[in-house]
Amino acid sequence: MSDFKARFIMNFIKDDRWHYIADGLKVTLIVTFCAVLIGVVLGFLLAIVRSTYDKTGKLKILNLICQIYITVIRGTPAVVQLLIIYFVIFASVDVSKTIVAILSFGMNSSAYVAEIFRSGIMAVDNGQFEAGRSLGFNYCQTMIYIIMPQAFKNVLPALGNEFIVLLKETSVAGYIALQDLTKGGDIIRSRTYDAFMPLMAVAIIYLVMVMIFSKLVSMLERRLRNSDH
Amino acid sequence: MTTNGDVLIRVENLQKAFGDFHALNGITEEIHKGEVVVIIGPSGSGKSTFLRSLNLLEVPTGGHIYFEGVDITDAKVDIDKHRQKMGMVFQHFNLFPHKTILENITLAPIKLLKKDKAEAEKEARELLKRVGLEEKADSYPSQLSGGQKQRIAIVRSLAMNPDVMLFDEPTSALDPEMVGEVLELMKQLAQEGMTMVVVTHEMGFAREVADRVMFVDEGRVKEQGTPEEFFANPKDERLKEFLSKVL
Repeated sequence: MSDFKARFIMNFIKDDRWHYIADGLKVTLIVTFCAVLIGVVLGFLLAIVRSTYDKTGKLKILNLICQIYITVIRGTPAVVQLLIIYFVIFASVDVSKTIVAILSFGMNSSAYVAEIFRSGIMAVDNGQFEAGRSLGFNYCQTMIYIIMPQAFKNVLPALGNEFIVLLKETSVAGYIALQDLTKGGDIIRSRTYDAFMPLMAVAIIYLVMVMIFSKLVSMLERRLRNSDH
Repeated sequence: MTTNGDVLIRVENLQKAFGDFHALNGITEEIHKGEVVVIIGPSGSGKSTFLRSLNLLEVPTGGHIYFEGVDITDAKVDIDKHRQKMGMVFQHFNLFPHKTILENITLAPIKLLKKDKAEAEKEARELLKRVGLEEKADSYPSQLSGGQKQRIAIVRSLAMNPDVMLFDEPTSALDPEMVGEVLELMKQLAQEGMTMVVVTHEMGFAREVADRVMFVDEGRVKEQGTPEEFFANPKDERLKEFLSKVL
């Protein structure tokens, strides 16, 4: 037990090493939060284009572009996308690693979110769409007031899952030497030559974050479900 | 009989093709203000397509539809504006499940007619009272029976103050014991002078309420007339066969 205590002190207390974890956690949270925002907004727009094409046959060219985007993003690993954005696209530009990570993970997430939203939109009965249009709502209004609220409820579990995946996915940010939570733990390991303590700490923090988030999603789900039994 | 009223909807040589299948083969008709037109016909005859074309839920592949004098098949026309004046009731009700009954009714008046919430809700409650469902205002559609849902769907359309109501088999998805309450409400509307176009299999309703009954088959109006002559003395062979099966 005293051995455990000694290792704990060496890994986290000595030289204020817990800062690596705390600062890393901050970076991970910032990157995840901003990437989620980008992912949702961009994914939503992609889904609108894709489902408008599915429903009406309009926006043919835009739909093609979206489809290519989604195929490329989903067809390549997130790490490779991160490296390409950092070392190729922003090669000659001095840009913060955090911004690069946010962009990269945001774009990656948007492709998945797009397909999640699209499936949610397509799952809403077409009669809902016709009812909206027959009352005099235009296409956009019908989408906003009638289809989207139902689609959102349909996709909430899948969306929550996507955010959990994204949170964990950001752990590869160390590839561009961004000091996120994982990298922070790794730095401690390289200082103390103790793998167990820092990695366990990192793993537990991810786990706790995911559990808290899952809880929030299921609470939101329950609230939305209450509204229509 | 109010068939001498002004023409509300004029349909000219209406055609609709789904690929190679021709659902409507040139229908020319007039619907007058205050008239109740019941459309009957076998399934696949094009009667629903015809009705759904009237507010352009099905976009015709040929011909014209004039609603209150305006050619709504013209691409330049703002169809959404005209649809506000054409209520539609569906076989499967299509109430908005994520909204309360009151919200279902007030959504369009608030957003489209820019009524303020209090006024729209007051009118909605009056309409609900009329159909005896005022205590359901804060319920959700899933808590209602089929007959209640369809009455709410009718009320939702009425809240927009339409000039015509289109009914697409409004009682076909209902349990038999709930058909009566919906037909009763439709009958009331007819008596108040609402212009109605009704696709239905309820021959009793056609006989009792319609000003004109229309038999549609193979995308054409094969025969029409007042219910008395239509049912007593059908001439078309297909109609005779059809009536012998449903009556």
